[in-house]
Amino acid sequence: MAEQATDRLVRMLGILTYVERNGDTPFAELAAHFGVSVDQVRKDIDALWVASEPGDSWSPIDFSADDFDADVAALVRNDGVSQVRLSPREAVALVGALSTMGAAGALPEAGTQVLAKLRDALAEPVTVLGDDQIAPEIRESLLEAIARYRIAEVEYVDAQDRRTTRTVDPHRLVVIDGHGYLECFCRRAQDYRVLRLDRIASVTVLDGAVEHPPTDTAGFTLTPAFRATVRIARTGRYALEDIPGVAIEDADEDVIATFDVADAAFVAGRLLAVAPHLRSVSPARLVDELHRQARSVLYVQR
Amino acid sequence: MPVEKSQRLLNLIIGLSSTRHRLTRDQIRDTIEGYEPLPHGASEDEVRKAEASFERMFERDKKELRDLGVPVETVEDPVHGDEIGYRIRPAEAAMPALDLTAAELAVLGIATDYWRGAVLGSDATQAVMKLASSAEHGPRVELPFAALPAVATDAFATLVEAVADRQAVRFEYSSVSSGAGTRTVEPWRVVLRAGVAYVIGFDRDREAPRTFRVQRIGGPVTPVGPAVADVPEEIPLGALAASADVSTARVALRPESGHALRRRGTAAGVDGGWDLYDVEYAHGDALVAEVLALAGGARIVAPTELAQAVAKAASAALEVERG
Repeated sequence: MAEQATDRLVRMLGILTYVERNGDTPFAELAAHFGVSVDQVRKDIDALWVASEPGDSWSPIDFSADDFDADVAALVRNDGVSQVRLSPREAVALVGALSTMGAAGALPEAGTQVLAKLRDALAEPVTVLGDDQIAPEIRESLLEAIARYRIAEVEYVDAQDRRTTRTVDPHRLVVIDGHGYLECFCRRAQDYRVLRLDRIASVTVLDGAVEHPPTDTAGFTLTPAFRATVRIARTGRYALEDIPGVAIEDADEDVIATFDVADAAFVAGRLLAVAPHLRSVSPARLVDELHRQARSVLYVQR
Repeated sequence: MPVEKSQRLLNLIIGLSSTRHRLTRDQIRDTIEGYEPLPHGASEDEVRKAEASFERMFERDKKELRDLGVPVETVEDPVHGDEIGYRIRPAEAAMPALDLTAAELAVLGIATDYWRGAVLGSDATQAVMKLASSAEHGPRVELPFAALPAVATDAFATLVEAVADRQAVRFEYSSVSSGAGTRTVEPWRVVLRAGVAYVIGFDRDREAPRTFRVQRIGGPVTPVGPAVADVPEEIPLGALAASADVSTARVALRPESGHALRRRGTAAGVDGGWDLYDVEYAHGDALVAEVLALAGGARIVAPTELAQAVAKAASAALEVERG
């Protein structure tokens, strides 16, 4: 597919601004920096060179011809064009993603620096709220283990409140749906796992070396057991919106949500909280689990 | 040979940036390389065709430059009647100097993954390409971090533009309190919280500020003309604001249960087979939901109204029939 004209324009302006800031630059360096071939760099510089002001043959951008023949971009003159600023969408995309990574506790040091620079220059294009409050020592220990290729012992409390101690081969920190996770190989489960950072209670870096390489498939690998349909009064809608892959339809005063269930106990636990608004739940096995949990609650709380 | 489009756009930027006052459409057509000047001695019909073709081309070019973030200004000049002219102020169009390190540029690459496959994906990639001109060249930096794509809808991208352009918008919204309906809103700000997108703005029908969850918007977001209400100095965050009102509840936990509550709370002794903890909470509903999800592993001792809320929800759950 042919390159978009604006993509090329942005790169041409980028090359011009880069050379203006950094002085004479070999084509090879420009090619590596902007991710294109040396031949493309030559064409881009050619196009900058022949750019013209309205109505006359004055070339506002001029390069040294001798250097050009030696595959070096040497700017002789640039009368007032440079890289253009970020559009509102671009600014929100970058600042939004970086801030979300930061709130999730999965933003590297360099990310904090670049975010500060962008916020300075862009006057805060988007508000990002929330903070998973990952303890610095947990983050630092995980990053140390990753950097030194060491395994770690992790105390973890999962979403069903089960507390476990696991030995993991840590790989990287990743943001999924706005929260930070550790991607790792869990030796207890003998499989790849993502552990939510704010549920890690402690980390101890061990002496053993990482033996299991990172996996190519990122994210969750839960296999859905069945598909559920829940009809609920509109007021209870919020409780179902965060379920991954959920489809919600309006139905008079209610909404109908359908979604895949990997763990019936987990979903029933969430439905309990909005039970006064529930109209119907299917399949029967999910209702049975809901009833079982409700009885357990009423046994201790009346 | 026809001039390539990227070349024509570059010439247009240079032309509109270097003009002292403005360029009219005729001047743009006749003097900027890449557009076709009106042919000499052409018939009326040919002139009309050439004009129409220029109009289409220029309108598209102008829109693409504006989408790119280049502020193409419209300049009216009373001396020349209603003929509209254009210009770009170079200082406003230019990217501020940011001096990024190679590691910082690498982090921006990860940030683009967050929008991959979604509507802001190409915007993020374009932004990194622009910022590369401000970054030092260095060996590729590998960072042990990643971001999996968030769900971003067309609605979110349109709202971002409407905030920037101060446009009012109309959309179908499914509200928790008032049901589905058409809303006309002057958006003030987009907000992200834990990966969920919101927009805060002035609701023209309610005549008050409102917060909308973008996920609850059905169908397209349509601009309906300029916003008129002033944007407040402080955007009201409404329910999104962190609650300053914090209370303390006492919860009883079975051994080896309620680990998250234990980590947040303060131990307050034991009672029979239960461990007691004092836990701070801002939203009672959230604490009730947390205790319910422990399915008998926890109960609320105080306050009474939260304890009752737990029992009430569980009783209601028993009433749910097998559907």
